[in-house]
Amino acid sequence: MDTKELYHTASLARLELDEKEAEKLSREVSQMLEYFNHMLELDVSNLEPTTHALMKNNRLRRDVVAEQTVDPDEMLENAPDLEDRFVLIPNVL
Amino acid sequence: MSNKYETFIGLEIHIHLEANTKMFCGCKAQYGDEPNTNICPVCMGYPGVLPMVNEKAMELGYKVARALNCKLSKNTFFERKNYFYPDMPKNYQISQFEEPVGVDGWMDFDTPEGTKKIRIHDVHLEEDAGKMIHAGDMSLCDYNRAGYPLLEIVTEPDIKTPEDTELFLRNFQRMVRYMGVSDGNMDEGSMKCDANISINLVGKGLGTKVELKNMNSPRFVRKGLSYEEERQADMLDQGKALTQETRLWNENRDQTEVMRTKEEAEDYRYFPEPDLPIFRPDQTFFDLVESGLVELPLTRKHRMMEEYKLSADQAEYIHDDLYLADYFEEAVKLGGDSVQLFAWLSSDVKKLLNRENLSLQDSPLTASWLTELLELISSEAISGKIAKKVLDFVFSDKKSPKTIVEEKGMSQVSDPAVLTAAVDKVMAANPDVVEAIKGGDNKQRGFLMGQLMKETGGKAAPVPLQKILAEKLG
Repeated sequence: MDTKELYHTASLARLELDEKEAEKLSREVSQMLEYFNHMLELDVSNLEPTTHALMKNNRLRRDVVAEQTVDPDEMLENAPDLEDRFVLIPNVL
Repeated sequence: MSNKYETFIGLEIHIHLEANTKMFCGCKAQYGDEPNTNICPVCMGYPGVLPMVNEKAMELGYKVARALNCKLSKNTFFERKNYFYPDMPKNYQISQFEEPVGVDGWMDFDTPEGTKKIRIHDVHLEEDAGKMIHAGDMSLCDYNRAGYPLLEIVTEPDIKTPEDTELFLRNFQRMVRYMGVSDGNMDEGSMKCDANISINLVGKGLGTKVELKNMNSPRFVRKGLSYEEERQADMLDQGKALTQETRLWNENRDQTEVMRTKEEAEDYRYFPEPDLPIFRPDQTFFDLVESGLVELPLTRKHRMMEEYKLSADQAEYIHDDLYLADYFEEAVKLGGDSVQLFAWLSSDVKKLLNRENLSLQDSPLTASWLTELLELISSEAISGKIAKKVLDFVFSDKKSPKTIVEEKGMSQVSDPAVLTAAVDKVMAANPDVVEAIKGGDNKQRGFLMGQLMKETGGKAAPVPLQKILAEKLG
């Protein structure tokens, strides 16, 4: 994978790479992509893609309000900062 | 806009589904509550949690897709749409992409030029994002809305004018209200509409697409699009190139403003949501969807025109609101004359409702009472003028029109003896006028009739009264 593509992929995943890391990763990712290329050689045109394995179909939930198992206040304690009950973060507009 | 150019408009409409809980967890689907109270580890994106699809949302999604004549999916599934923005704690939105609940549909709507058809690209289920308030150098996040069940309807760029877009949206809004799947209120955010618009020289096909956001009523959608249509035509006239961008409608300035330019195509890297199994509806589910279908507004409007001899405008008015449409049909069944019913509902009743700040639903005037009122007029028990007073009393006293007429002695007087006495009295009191009329001044007859109505408290039946007056005047 060329570095330009790698940096793009990294930025999509919000990852910061220095040059050394990029060089190392570029090699490793290329290797991984090669494995995928091997798989792509197989003819699967008549197969339905397996998006989900070992899962029962049609697992739906009734539209009934569930009891709160975790106290929202407790979750809010994990927030970096709060104002009234809002989660407070640097402006992102 | 000059007819050099052709306009292409496509819509992305989001509606909040009428459900008790969120799309993938059992949190209350309710916002306006204290911030961050209706949240749980699932909608807050905690690691290791397992989302589960709300069956009501699934059912409503299929219903809308069905009403929009879509091909319904036999194996629908969810995908992760990846993006980084703090309105979604998971860093992805669970949505649908490859296999939405419905594709390739269409919807008809009425315009002054006749019924038009708009193709529907797809209908898919997803979750709403949280609400953010931006204040100074900080942003505030409330996740009560994160995970709210949302249905997105994407049209093909088939709409040709901003005016048609407004009409289409109003038709769509009415449809979801008729179906009870959403309240469709754009000003409250339970329905949102982004519009894509491009213009091009006639015959050249789609132009450079601009996406418009932030319009919170069908009227603003029209205004935003009209502004954009003009702006783009001016650019092209000046030989400038248009940029693919997202613009916001600024309702205070009546203009659109750049929000962001799309330099590179958004890369959401959709992939199947591994935690949610494929949904393969069985016949029972499809039967449930079918059985829940209602007569859609446009069909009803056309039937009402046919069945009750209403004009297009009259039927438009009556069918606009589901409650009004049901009310009207109930009154017709009870024997009310359709044209009279329309006349009263669209004028006097409406005026009273506005004055009292009531909806028809909350008013004391039931369909059977309105029919009763019309009967009192047609049987000549009261005049149309008195009927308006009776209507007032129905609202204030909350009693039936018949009771009010009896209690207040508002019946029309047609007893010849009483009417003759009144005529004699008024003629005696106005000898000059009587002389003038006898001398040929017919204009003065109106004055006498006025005096007679005054004398009888407006209750004299006009036809016999006029007859007696004519006889007396010779």
